[in-house]
Amino acid sequence: MRKPGIEKFKYFVGIRSLAEIATAEDRVCVLNILGNESRSVTPISHAYSGGNVVFGTSPGRRGQVLETRAGNIPVYNNVREGMDAGHKFNIGVVYLPPAAVRDGVAELIRINPDVEKVIILTEKISVHDSREIRALGQQRGVDIFGANCLGVADSWNHVRIGGALGGDKPEETLRKGSIAIYSNSGNFTTTIANYLSIGGWGTTTLISSGKDVYINYATPEFAFAMANDARTKAAVMYSEPGGYYEQEVTFEKPVVACVVGRWKANLTRAVGHAGAIAGSGDDARAKEGWFMEKFGVKDLFTPDNPVCSNKGAVVTNIAHIPQALTEVMRLNGIERDFPPEGNLELKPWFGDDQGLKLPVALNIPVVKAMSPYDEQIAELLKNVGAIFPRQTMKDCSGSSVMDPKTQVTKVNGISILDTAKQPLESNLCLSLVRELNDANDNALFNLAVAAHVNLHGDAALAAADASREAGNAPNTAISAAIALIGPKRVDGARKAADTLIELFAHSGLLKGEDEQANTTPATATPEQLATLLGKFPDALAEAMLDAFDKRGAKSVFVRHLRALGGHPTAGAVLAALTTTIAWEPLVRKRISKLTVRNLPWYARLFGVFIGSATEGARHQPDKFCGVSNEEILQSWTVTQLAYLSLMAERPTPSSLFPFQVMLGLIISNGVGTISAQGCKGAVSADGPETPERVQINKGMIGFLTHTGFAHGGNGYEGIQFLIESFAGTPLADAGAADPGLDLKKMATDFALAFNKEKKASKSLGTPVRNIPGVNHPVFKGHPVNHDPREVYIADLFAERGEKNVFHDFYRALVQALYDNGVTANVFCVNIDAIIAALLLKLLWPRYRRNELGESSMEMAAFTAFLLGRMAGCAGEIDDHINRGRNMDTRTPASECSHVS
Amino acid sequence: MNISGMLHGAGLLKLAGFPAAEVLGPEASEHEIHSLIERCGAVFIKPIFKGGIGKKGKSGLIGRAKDLKTALAEKERLYFAEHRVGNVVYKSRGVTFEGAVPAEHEIYFSLTDSTRYRAPVMTLTHHGGMDIEELDKSQIIEAPFDPLTGLKSFIVSNALSDLGAPREIVSPLVQYLPKLWDLFHHNGMSTLELNPIRMTESKSGSLLPVACDFKCGFDRDDPRVGRLTLPDDLFVTEANDFEQEINELRTYQGQSDVYVINEKGTILAPTFGGGANSLVTEVLGNDAIISSDFGGNPPYEKMYEVMRICLKYYLKQSNVLFIIGGKANNTDIFVTFRAMADALRDYFSEHGPTPLYVVIGRGGPQLIRGMGVFKDVLDALRIPYRIFGFDSAMTDVVNYAQEADRWMKSGGRAEVAKSLGLPADA
Repeated sequence: MRKPGIEKFKYFVGIRSLAEIATAEDRVCVLNILGNESRSVTPISHAYSGGNVVFGTSPGRRGQVLETRAGNIPVYNNVREGMDAGHKFNIGVVYLPPAAVRDGVAELIRINPDVEKVIILTEKISVHDSREIRALGQQRGVDIFGANCLGVADSWNHVRIGGALGGDKPEETLRKGSIAIYSNSGNFTTTIANYLSIGGWGTTTLISSGKDVYINYATPEFAFAMANDARTKAAVMYSEPGGYYEQEVTFEKPVVACVVGRWKANLTRAVGHAGAIAGSGDDARAKEGWFMEKFGVKDLFTPDNPVCSNKGAVVTNIAHIPQALTEVMRLNGIERDFPPEGNLELKPWFGDDQGLKLPVALNIPVVKAMSPYDEQIAELLKNVGAIFPRQTMKDCSGSSVMDPKTQVTKVNGISILDTAKQPLESNLCLSLVRELNDANDNALFNLAVAAHVNLHGDAALAAADASREAGNAPNTAISAAIALIGPKRVDGARKAADTLIELFAHSGLLKGEDEQANTTPATATPEQLATLLGKFPDALAEAMLDAFDKRGAKSVFVRHLRALGGHPTAGAVLAALTTTIAWEPLVRKRISKLTVRNLPWYARLFGVFIGSATEGARHQPDKFCGVSNEEILQSWTVTQLAYLSLMAERPTPSSLFPFQVMLGLIISNGVGTISAQGCKGAVSADGPETPERVQINKGMIGFLTHTGFAHGGNGYEGIQFLIESFAGTPLADAGAADPGLDLKKMATDFALAFNKEKKASKSLGTPVRNIPGVNHPVFKGHPVNHDPREVYIADLFAERGEKNVFHDFYRALVQALYDNGVTANVFCVNIDAIIAALLLKLLWPRYRRNELGESSMEMAAFTAFLLGRMAGCAGEIDDHINRGRNMDTRTPASECSHVS
Repeated sequence: MNISGMLHGAGLLKLAGFPAAEVLGPEASEHEIHSLIERCGAVFIKPIFKGGIGKKGKSGLIGRAKDLKTALAEKERLYFAEHRVGNVVYKSRGVTFEGAVPAEHEIYFSLTDSTRYRAPVMTLTHHGGMDIEELDKSQIIEAPFDPLTGLKSFIVSNALSDLGAPREIVSPLVQYLPKLWDLFHHNGMSTLELNPIRMTESKSGSLLPVACDFKCGFDRDDPRVGRLTLPDDLFVTEANDFEQEINELRTYQGQSDVYVINEKGTILAPTFGGGANSLVTEVLGNDAIISSDFGGNPPYEKMYEVMRICLKYYLKQSNVLFIIGGKANNTDIFVTFRAMADALRDYFSEHGPTPLYVVIGRGGPQLIRGMGVFKDVLDALRIPYRIFGFDSAMTDVVNYAQEADRWMKSGGRAEVAKSLGLPADA
């Protein structure tokens, strides 16, 4: 049965006064209370209104609650369950998705005969459903607000129902006063209230009407309820083109109408507000005319031409509302609600000319923001480094991304085709500080790592050797060493990094290598000094400082340590080196303070990683792989050290470059790789939300345990294939301009043999073996196929005039396979083939000298993979510590399956 | 999303069981056209314009032929005909051949939603076949009705009584017009107009309404239009590539409404909120490249994607990136600003720097963290900027952005380019 409505209207309207719209007695049920928007808005509304939401619904979530500062709100599957549980309500708030709104409104008003008002927040409801919702409300005698609105609020009653008027701090904007606001725009409801309070006017009831084609609580109803509300002395209306809602209205109290959208007449399609598209008779100019006629004014109100009457004024700029209102009210003999709280002049809170000479009109100085934003800005400016929001980082990375089309991975925005041109030390830093190194950074980082490769006498080396002796693969042996480089081993260096950041954070220092910078911007406290200086000279620290000079490196922080006049610890020197590299990205908020603090740990882990990759016998008190500690400290690069550890010989420039390219190519293959998943799982299990507890060395172990003979070790398959093909040849130098081999014949012979083998396998029904390094699931299907990464590397070496007979053989092979009918088109040579060709070229002389057996070759290939991939995985570890949530890599039981 | 003309209209009317004039598409053979002329005595040749283009008759864009030769000549004349409506020129993509329907009475009929009645409304007159605006109000009737029961026969009957319609057309219209409600209401239409419906004599001697022209508009928020299995490209010309790409992100969580105002504009203004959209569009006018509403608390991924697409299409030509909204109620400023700043930084990484001035005006939750993120990125990219809080009048902030645009146009762009190490004409 329809309830009796107000007689004045031909249709149903139940609300007599604005004071009845949002009252302290109203009790609310929220549909889809756990939806994204409601979850953030409802708790604030509930607390602001003194706890007016009695329950919410969310199908399938009965028993859950929505936590709020004013207590938990219970959740039921549907309205009936909530009412059966004894809850009573008179207002329904709808946060459902568009397709479900009509049914939600029907549920509210058919299940609960006491419903008086329904507020619909959802936007993009079809006109079809809006028609029916209007009719449903009329049929049952229910006042509906919206849809596509932001609800209602009452500044006197301290009540907000439905949407988020006033934002996350309603009390800041909803100031008690004498003005009602009715607005087609939800955002402008709040913005106008904000402008009014700056101009000295508070509010009574605020209504965001929505601006769909159907506006359920429209201007005529508002005008009627305003007349009956003793608190309200005037109203501000914000009105957009489209619809005849305002045409026939009579106001009994003064109104400032803001009509915006003359220009919209040029548009043929609505943007934002579905109903804000006008025909010929209801555009912005027509609406301005309607209001002007009601107010008896001949023109629009502007500060220069303040046309108004005691009935009202029409503005087209919301910034003019406070002044227009004040003028209109002056004609009615009514003063402001409170003294103006400022003005709406341009006030930049942030700004920078970037050294340009701007004209006066643009060069407006930055001003102190209003309270409490000024304090927040001060806090923000105090903060050093980036703060990343935490989120679930399962299968998600802020460090690496693979383009599924090209299969090329980028690490911190740099393609692996470009990292292939960088030395390992630069790629290691790129992963962590998110930028490539310059020469000074490289000098610093080479020293930081070089100081930790010789593990003579360190239990870590014994652990690695014991692991190797037990028959383990290189990943397991290195893990054993890495396990011993726990947080206690690097506490000193991390505390030193903290101290350096604290001392220099607000010094204005922009670059860590700035030679002109003040080395003592702040006086260190005794506690801070204790993190940098020891009681006695530290031999390693002194050797490092000596090497620092020999390398011609620059660092404000090293100069700071020296200026202190005591005995810097080795940890402090290490921290000074890494903090110099990280300073610029830290200041520019590219990386967090946490990353800078942990950087010495990473540097040490890289050193131990490289050191433990070679057997214990090569670590002597004063030498590593036959090279003196002094020489290593003073001149060796990380790339050279990795080469030395793997090959046990000094690299030459021509042998080092392909090695560097190979490492650079494999630093990452995206977050989906098992190695990345392993290290991220290790971080997730430690709980990155308490980053202090995350064991970075365990993260590295997670990476290492998630490599193996199939992932990382499979590089050997390519090598094995090439050895099979070349063992019987007299090849001595794989880089010779003329290796003296007929590659085409070799490839054709192989293709024919393979074809025979393939046919035999087919007739037997046994699987055909794959040729390692040939074909790719993405780069296929064309007459001639190329892996772009292979092409890039081939061009790179061609430019340098460097030959690689194994690579050439692969290219001849894919052609021969096609020419002899083995493949339907010319398959690509893939990236695995490149890695095998590069590595085998380096190992070939030792293989020829019988210094390396098959097993050693396999281990070398595996170790090379680990040395490259440690860069990408370190980046994933650091990224996950900064962004991840505790246990975020777990898979919900519902997504797991069972087999028996 | 509009359809005009009988090519698709006849098919839709058939779904509702409403008679329509016979129609042949542009691919019709001479034999088919000839036999249509034989059956109907004459054919109308009409150009096919995508979208809802009206007033073709007045522009001389409707041909009539009683023989094949004339029909083919008209086809040639109208096949690629151009039609100017305001500043826009529409180009025809073929013609239809529509069989003539002899009749004494022409009816105008439309269904739409009325904001005066807040209900669906039937507009009806038996003085059809001409522009409805040219008729006296007493000759037209607007009849609102309850959507829960729909357009019933008695509503049509009452309307015809009020109009004083000739007796012989009442029964057939009362019988047939209600069928159109189903077509309108259940297939996501927002307007439906048949003008004229010609009342032709049926075999039994009674009159039969036959629709001879068709226009309808679809509600882009109503998935019911999918029930009609219309060709995918029917509405494509209404949006350019940019709008099309943004529209693919259209979900109810977070807005992605956008309209290209001026392809050659110089202020790229991602705007938040329907109100801000109206105001900014108003003040910027043709300086703006797009009119947009990206409010509604979009998640990071969506905001990033929207911004990435905006920058991809329009950053290079922009002097000013102008991000503007009121004091947000629910949109998380930190999330949206982080997404936009990241997209800007990634654009610079991928395409290299471009001279730019950035103006931002905003309020809302997590405001300072959001502004802080943008400030850091702009400092890193060395772009000059001003960021205003919600205590600066929004229109003044818009004016400031225009001032920045003027400066950029009169030498500022070259100065910014120089400071970024770019050539002056970058």
